Amino acid sequence: MSDLFVALTPANLLACFVGTVLGTIVGVLPGLGPAGAMALVLPLTIKLGPTAGLIMLAGIYYGAMYGGSTTSILVNVPGEAASVVTTIDGYRLARKGRAGAALAVAAIASFVAGTFSVVALQVAAPLVARAALAFGPAEYFALGLLGLVLLANLTGRSRAKSLAMVLLGVMLATIGMDPLGGAVRFTFDLAGAQAGLSFVAVTTGLFEAASAVARVKFRELYPSREELRRSVPPMLRGTVLGFLVGLMPGPAATIASFVSYGVEKKVSKHRAELGSGAIEGVAGPEAANNAAAGGGMIPLLSLGLPFTPSTAVLLSGMLLMSVTPGPFLLRDHPRVFWGVIGSFYVGNVMLLLLNLPLVGLFARIATIPPRYLMPAVLVLCAVAAYSDNNNIFDVWVMVAAGIAGWAMRALDFSPAPLVLGLVLGPMLERSLLQALTIARGDIGGLWASWPAAGMLVAAALASVAPAVSALVRRMSRRAV
Amino acid sequence: MGRDHWSAAGLALLAIGYLLAGRRYPLDTLATPGPGLVPLVAGVALLAVAIWLFITANRAGLADAATTGGLIEPAPRRAAGRPLVLAAALVIYAAVLPALGFVVSSFALVVVASRLIGAAGWWRPALLALGITGVSYLLFARWLGVPLP
Repeated sequence: MSDLFVALTPANLLACFVGTVLGTIVGVLPGLGPAGAMALVLPLTIKLGPTAGLIMLAGIYYGAMYGGSTTSILVNVPGEAASVVTTIDGYRLARKGRAGAALAVAAIASFVAGTFSVVALQVAAPLVARAALAFGPAEYFALGLLGLVLLANLTGRSRAKSLAMVLLGVMLATIGMDPLGGAVRFTFDLAGAQAGLSFVAVTTGLFEAASAVARVKFRELYPSREELRRSVPPMLRGTVLGFLVGLMPGPAATIASFVSYGVEKKVSKHRAELGSGAIEGVAGPEAANNAAAGGGMIPLLSLGLPFTPSTAVLLSGMLLMSVTPGPFLLRDHPRVFWGVIGSFYVGNVMLLLLNLPLVGLFARIATIPPRYLMPAVLVLCAVAAYSDNNNIFDVWVMVAAGIAGWAMRALDFSPAPLVLGLVLGPMLERSLLQALTIARGDIGGLWASWPAAGMLVAAALASVAPAVSALVRRMSRRAV
Repeated sequence: MGRDHWSAAGLALLAIGYLLAGRRYPLDTLATPGPGLVPLVAGVALLAVAIWLFITANRAGLADAATTGGLIEPAPRRAAGRPLVLAAALVIYAAVLPALGFVVSSFALVVVASRLIGAAGWWRPALLALGITGVSYLLFARWLGVPLP
């Protein structure tokens, strides 16, 4: 437990500070997301060593959660998916001249929820890690499948499109050596492709280069001030809800913010005002998405499974620094584990101190014209892609991913499921093949244990549930 | 045929090409699965999803139009060419990078990109390019020792 104080060494404090500031800026700039930004600085963080490097990456992750809400409220442009809900009431509050109050509440809600989730993380992560030791290949396969199905259900507007992107990601993951036998697949004799597609190159291309190509829109600022205090109950509800959602596989922060908004619409005293600029609509979802971001660290740190693009980048960062997340992380690298968790406390305090006075400044960053910003982003993408493996092939991958990402956006496909398919693909393949081998070719071996069977049933239910509910809705409409 | 029909068709073609290319990897048996198993499953699944997308495309398109109620404006036709030019610039960038090196090719990329995205004149893009290329060279190559092409 004393390892928590690792976060307080000057070098780690600096890494945390740089990470949170970068994260806030990234969250504020529409078009730049936490996952792409983390991938951009990944080569840099490797130089810092595992603890400081991961603290900086994590700082970007939750800094972006803060920054994302700032632009949602001020300019009605969500910095990232988890702050989409905040635009509903946050932007209306800002137009009523209550932007200051909304921003302050968002910052405080994020702080309360972030701190709570860190405490809960401390208790829950070792427990989950212990349970995870009992997980075999079949359980991992079921869990990964469940996560991808939930993800396809909840991202984008069309389930078919999200599912197609997940599968495309899994297919891209099969390029290079196969995870068990070492056979080289789909490389078409390109030397650079043997090790597989560089995750950094694909992510920077899909998220950053693509947004430079597609060009994002900017709007005017309406900041002003006022005070408010109805946000404590929704904040607490959002925190608990968000953390529980964060434990589940899937894009937790985004779901949590939507769930919290739904709950506030049902139980809040001021539910009638929601949708026309009620502070509850900011406090609840903002608390929920931050608590979920903390909760989402549990599957990452204790199982080694990322379920959001940002935690996927964090995972690849860990692997590059030869820290393997999973049940043994706590035993093998206690200083890394507790140092990163300790940095969450420090980071939350820093973000609160940074955001309350500097909110105006951060909001102004959102108005940097894209014609100056985007060219710089393109050059950074090239540096990040190349330096991952010192390989020009990866620059080609980045360029191709950038063009594909632009096309995907134009055709209304979301890149996030693709990235997760790419990350979880090798894990799914390895665990499936191992499970089959262990069961001597009996497919029943995949659902022989209770946890595996439970998760597969949940995945099956999740994949038919939307179709069933649509059918029920159509029938009831016909009955009326 | 709508936009979603075309993307469904494209995905189906991709899945078929992938399945054809994956035929040379052995499946072996279920007890000792070979490297061809997962590509087969993934390719067939994508083909199925593409067919599903094709069938549901019409309905989804109508529902979209109904829910957004015309809130999302279609992009103006004239601007549609610009991303293509920028994409081409990126491809050329990757092609000349090994020959010309990082500094020269990045300078050219920034000038072209900022002009395309809307900067006026030549002086500002050139200064911007000088700044971005110089700072990133000093920061990455000199200070952090990151190898650059």
